[in-house]
Amino acid sequence: MSVPPTSTLVRCRGVGKAFAGRSGTVSALAGVDLEVERGEFVSLIGPSGCGKSTLLRIVGGLVPADEGEVLVDGGDPRAARTGKQFGWVPQTPALLPWSTVRRNARLLTKVNRGREAHAVLGEDETVDLLRQVGLGDFLDAYPRELSGGMQQRVALVRAFALGAPILLMDEPFAALDEITRDEMRYLLLRLWEHTGATVLFVTHSLAEAVILSDRVAVMAARPGRIVDVEEVHLPRPRSTDQEDSVEFLHHVHRVRRVLQEGMS
Amino acid sequence: MNSVGARTAARTSAVLRWLAPVVGIAAFLGVWELFVRVFDIPEFELPAPSAILANMRDDPGFYLRNTWVTFREAALGFTVAAVLALVVATVAAASPFLERALEPLVVLFQVTPIIAYAPAIVLWVGTGFRPILIITVIVCFAPFFFNGVTGLLSVDPAALELLRSVDASPREVFWRLRLPNALPYLFAAARIAVGLALVGAVLGEFFALVPSGLGVAIKKAQAFTDTLQLWGSIFSLALLGSVIILLLGVLERNLLRWHASQTLR
Repeated sequence: MSVPPTSTLVRCRGVGKAFAGRSGTVSALAGVDLEVERGEFVSLIGPSGCGKSTLLRIVGGLVPADEGEVLVDGGDPRAARTGKQFGWVPQTPALLPWSTVRRNARLLTKVNRGREAHAVLGEDETVDLLRQVGLGDFLDAYPRELSGGMQQRVALVRAFALGAPILLMDEPFAALDEITRDEMRYLLLRLWEHTGATVLFVTHSLAEAVILSDRVAVMAARPGRIVDVEEVHLPRPRSTDQEDSVEFLHHVHRVRRVLQEGMS
Repeated sequence: MNSVGARTAARTSAVLRWLAPVVGIAAFLGVWELFVRVFDIPEFELPAPSAILANMRDDPGFYLRNTWVTFREAALGFTVAAVLALVVATVAAASPFLERALEPLVVLFQVTPIIAYAPAIVLWVGTGFRPILIITVIVCFAPFFFNGVTGLLSVDPAALELLRSVDASPREVFWRLRLPNALPYLFAAARIAVGLALVGAVLGEFFALVPSGLGVAIKKAQAFTDTLQLWGSIFSLALLGSVIILLLGVLERNLLRWHASQTLR
């Protein structure tokens, strides 16, 4: 008899991580509890050095936790990584300069081909996705011929083309100007709403966290921990108009207050 | 600037790019010719470029035969050094311990003048083609090794982490990330190694008692004070090196179209 999948896809319990520094051991994370449901969009927000990216790497099986338990779909994160369960979007686009846009978008599907338990996008579907994000005229362009925003769009398509059930995004829009960043948020939402993937999104931007997420996990530093989780009750699909709404501003205000309390 | 203006400017820039080195070389030879004629320098001391070129034109077979021999030696030494250095660089890049163990060894070979241990190599492996190949490989190895290690290691950490996020094996990381990343570094090494390969081949011919090659032609010309053949052989070497560099440039432009170094200046 097969076991029905639980609704919780990512579960962190009492997660701790320390790094050895020149002046002794630095506790990056301590006692982190977090659960992410299937299809949920959860943002991690907090001051620099509070361990947001470390937590993302632990969930992604790239760094082991020193304490506590991390389960991805009921198993070890490293097993999930081996099964290509994560669509990783780094802070910089990390495109291969020698590959064209088309080839870069297919990179993750080509590495360890066949290891994934889910369906990946074929070449035609990936090209369709590239056209959807406005890169139809740049399929055979090299990364150096693209703007920063266009490069980050390729990075998004690359993660979505893998068809992974979990997307891990480490401040993907941090290096972009505010106008492009705003545009990218809604592009991400449009792509995500089609897939129903689960997203864990690291950001420094309060507005970004609120407009994108179902829940915002607010972190504090020294040691890195989650101090509160704000549920965002804005209806989907989200739009720029909602950013002017009272509800949106209330959410931003509450997250800001928790952040300030965490820093004091 | 409109599109016609931009095209004309691009064409002018392309013509100037080809014309500039030709003008430079012609001016150098012109000054040399003038210097020899004005000061009436005897041919056995320093022949005029026109006399050297006339000598080459009169006996092209001699120069072509010897150039071909030297080219073969240099090309084989260059290729063996490139492949061997890349293999060793890959091993060194995979292990900091091996990198630290290998680096001083390569530095020792690089800083010891090849002319000092060339006779030792001939005594060890005998005369003929073998010592020439070994000498050429030794002089070409260091630039390929050092640039290879740097290129293999200086990958974008975010790209490396991205590949790790889908559990890429070290082999996949090598082929998809490290080797392409090292290509511009290896081409930079190749430009240096072309000159070194010719030095190695000519020097090897000086010691290895072989019957032909530009090094042999230079040595014989020196013995008979045949300055026209001496300078004809030097011109042939210069021409050979330039042609190889030119071909390397064509290959580089095709393989590194993606790289910032290929943007037209």
